[in-house]
Amino acid sequence: MRDIVVTFSHVSKRYELHRKLARAALFNDAKRGDTFWALRDMSFEIERGATIGLIGPNGAGKSTILKILSRVTVPTEGSFAVKGRLGALIEVGAGFHPELTGRENVYLNGAILGMRKREIDAKFDEIVAFSEVEKFLDTPLKFYSNGMMVRLGFAVAAHIDPDVLLVDEVLAVGDTAFQAKCLNKIAELKEQDRTIVLVSHAMPSILQHSSRVLWIDHGTIQAYGDPDETVESYLRTVHTHGTEATEELTAPSDSPIHITRVTVRNADGHANGSLKYGEPASVDIVYTVTQPVDDPVMSLTFHDVRDFPLGGLTSRFDGIRLDASQGSSTVRLILSPVLFTRGSYGVTVAIQDSRIQRYMDMRPRAATFMVDGPSVASREVSGHFVLPHRWELHPQDGR
Amino acid sequence: MRIAIKPYRPEHDVDVNSLFAMNYLQELADNAHLVLSFAKRDIRAKYKQTILGVAWAVIQPVSLMIVFTLVFSLFARVPSEGIPYPIFSYSVLIFWTFFATSLSQGTVAMTANATLVRKIYFPRETLLLAVMLSALVDLGVAGLILVAMFVYYQVALSWAALWVIPLLALEVLFVLAVILMTSSLQVYFRDMGHALPLLLQLWMYASPIAYPLTSVPEWLRPFYLLNPMAGIIDGFRRALLHGEHPDFTYLGIACPVIVIALAGAYLFFKRAERTFADVI
Repeated sequence: MRDIVVTFSHVSKRYELHRKLARAALFNDAKRGDTFWALRDMSFEIERGATIGLIGPNGAGKSTILKILSRVTVPTEGSFAVKGRLGALIEVGAGFHPELTGRENVYLNGAILGMRKREIDAKFDEIVAFSEVEKFLDTPLKFYSNGMMVRLGFAVAAHIDPDVLLVDEVLAVGDTAFQAKCLNKIAELKEQDRTIVLVSHAMPSILQHSSRVLWIDHGTIQAYGDPDETVESYLRTVHTHGTEATEELTAPSDSPIHITRVTVRNADGHANGSLKYGEPASVDIVYTVTQPVDDPVMSLTFHDVRDFPLGGLTSRFDGIRLDASQGSSTVRLILSPVLFTRGSYGVTVAIQDSRIQRYMDMRPRAATFMVDGPSVASREVSGHFVLPHRWELHPQDGR
Repeated sequence: MRIAIKPYRPEHDVDVNSLFAMNYLQELADNAHLVLSFAKRDIRAKYKQTILGVAWAVIQPVSLMIVFTLVFSLFARVPSEGIPYPIFSYSVLIFWTFFATSLSQGTVAMTANATLVRKIYFPRETLLLAVMLSALVDLGVAGLILVAMFVYYQVALSWAALWVIPLLALEVLFVLAVILMTSSLQVYFRDMGHALPLLLQLWMYASPIAYPLTSVPEWLRPFYLLNPMAGIIDGFRRALLHGEHPDFTYLGIACPVIVIALAGAYLFFKRAERTFADVI
């Protein structure tokens, strides 16, 4: 028999907007004011030991689901059930008080998160060791650095020992070493058959950790299943690939030079927005010069799905001089081969002056594309690139 | 070594329509330690980075006593039933200060902890109980001055002084009822916080603190005593200064008012609490 630990059945959540909010919430009066359905008739189940990645655009209802699960708010309709103790790594350190010492804050925050005193006593050393703030335990928290506070907050929250753990974007706290520690803690919980609900905009971490992905939008479930497939369908809606890529760009105002079209082509020359890892691809940029320009510089920056810049280059770097004669010209950047990991990417194209100081035209996310290749879900690669490389084996080193 | 600890935030199976059936009191009892933690935080935080520290617990009732003594004893001669006016007023001012402090801090307890309320679930009334606990500590400190005054004015205490304990218990229940209401109203309508200082001032003059209850005209008393604080304050004074038991007729009015107010306020609070996070 399947062991279900979280059940949502026909859950809807309505928020009241604007000034009628207070009255409506208090008297449960639906007629007044504008309402907004954050969740609509949502039903799903989570099995024990599963790690669920919760994805969707901003405003899709992700945090409402977390709020309902953690009982911060109640659904307007429907019911839900959680078996066992629930812990949330949502706003770590929300209960901290700046005037209290680190030690006092561990006890206070532990109590707020639902730990008993003897339980905190028992885990105190473990929490402190995890947070790496031993030396400052008896210092008021107001003298802590931001990083120390976050580490202490995470340390307390990570030791609640929950049956169901909600994690919201906290994988991004602290330095790399601390992040590794956090990931190990999550892996440890997984091994103990705990259930985890992970919310993140970072698809690599979703793919890396989830056993299933729940994709929601507009308060309803779009898909609930295999991580790779679900993330991919989600990304396809975020970027309407292929169409936008070849669209004629509208002319800028008074610039002497402007970008008119950006097209990403795969190895076969198709502009359908899907590239393959290990195969060549090209970015064609059509630009128009209306007045004489002295040695313009073309720059391209690649982004992940959240528009986080991954890397870029300029024509100057490679010593290329653009054709600046009046009229329309095309410049082609050839990627040979594509080294992106599986996922969705965008490219921003800009033309700058000869000193690379001023933008003469800039097209954020001028084109987007999907890459089919090694997935971080396999945990065999990580991040967004696989750098050009080779391995050497030196058996019995030195002999 | 793994220490097995029974999860005590009970498994929850929440049906919106049956929320009332949940055992609020059981949940509150499970979170007693949280009340202590919040109270400790409030007390520590209140007096940190102050010069006078815990002396502030005394300054408020003592200054009121001085003002009252000047105004009501020196300028206008308010009867004090043959008792030196400073001790006549101070003996009840400390209990009034407990009421006023709990009310003003309790009312804003939810909004002052908005980040917590928005992010983490815990029974919200723990914040109110913590406020009262920290106000009780202040009361204890202010009580030391009262003891000194008893010695100075050579007022003898009788066994009747023990009535202070049940009277204080009644006052605690009443304060709780009031702040359960005002704190949830404050979440929805910040007007509550603005009205509070005025309310407290009116309430103080509507209670027999600066004057004896006997100076309230007979015809007005039935209405006057609907304010539970009137009977309670009068009881404190009888017990401490006159060596008498409280007037049971007065308390007979106060008790049902308190019980009804508390039950109603708690249910109201628990209902309002569900949407605190959405509105705060």
